[in-house]
Amino acid sequence: MLRKKRSLGASIPSSSMADIAFLLLIFFLVATVIDVDTGIGLTLPEYVPPDEIEEVKVDPDRMAAILINENGDVLLDGKPISLFQIKNTLKPRIISKIELPKKKKLIVSLKTDRKTVYSAYISALDQIKMAFFEVRDEYSNSRFGMKFNDLSDEGQTEVKNAIPIIISLAEPEAVK
Amino acid sequence: MKFEKKRASVKQEIPTASMPDIIFMLLLFFMVTTTMREVELLVDYRLPDAEALEKIENKRLVSYIWVGKDSRMQIDDSIVKVDDVQPIMYGKRQVIKNIIVSLRVDVGANMGLVTDIQQELRKAYCLRLNYSANVKI
Repeated sequence: MLRKKRSLGASIPSSSMADIAFLLLIFFLVATVIDVDTGIGLTLPEYVPPDEIEEVKVDPDRMAAILINENGDVLLDGKPISLFQIKNTLKPRIISKIELPKKKKLIVSLKTDRKTVYSAYISALDQIKMAFFEVRDEYSNSRFGMKFNDLSDEGQTEVKNAIPIIISLAEPEAVK
Repeated sequence: MKFEKKRASVKQEIPTASMPDIIFMLLLFFMVTTTMREVELLVDYRLPDAEALEKIENKRLVSYIWVGKDSRMQIDDSIVKVDDVQPIMYGKRQVIKNIIVSLRVDVGANMGLVTDIQQELRKAYCLRLNYSANVKI
């Protein structure tokens, strides 16, 4: 007895494929965190043991010393100012030193108390960085007619050489 | 007179045959970009706001230190003390030469603690820092 073979169209139902893909898509959409890490960059100095620290005298004209106490009060070179004035106070001083050789550029020194709140420190650092960034932008605008970020690599190096960001974190004092 | 709307005798359907392909493409995109969270946070913190922000270009180099509201510190998956920072970070620096340390510190933390961490980092030769902050709106 021979049975005729029926030709069965064997196919996987694909109508639900889109739904399955949608479900997966939604899962990954929810699970994705596109967070760019933003922050204020800084390079620490190398560690020197306390007894090997050499004191280097720096021309007071070159220094801008910022002190923040535990209440968030700011002293810039001995004069009390508000936290948000730091940028505008520093800017003219940075500009005045653009033409000077590398050894005479402005150094901003930032010192805090042990009880200073972190946010005050970050605000101050932010203000200092902003001052430098704005001066850089203005300088590259007048020289190249472009913002600092749009410059070519050589342009950026030139501006960086003219306006280096020198922030010195004061060596912490021993706790008494 | 009869008014009849003229209708074009064209099918009014959006072709859905390519929909799965489009969705698969989107799916692939998200699958590729997704990074699953690697560490479980044990500390509670709120980042400060700042304007002069820089992006960290190379995420591979970054290693995080969290400091929470209660001044507890976390590196990787565990709570650590200030004294532990130096050996841990030194070990990490052996693996990644130009490591960037991202400090995710709560707004209310004391600078004393941050200074201590910085001193430890200096001893461990992890000199590139990044104070994590949110964009000020």
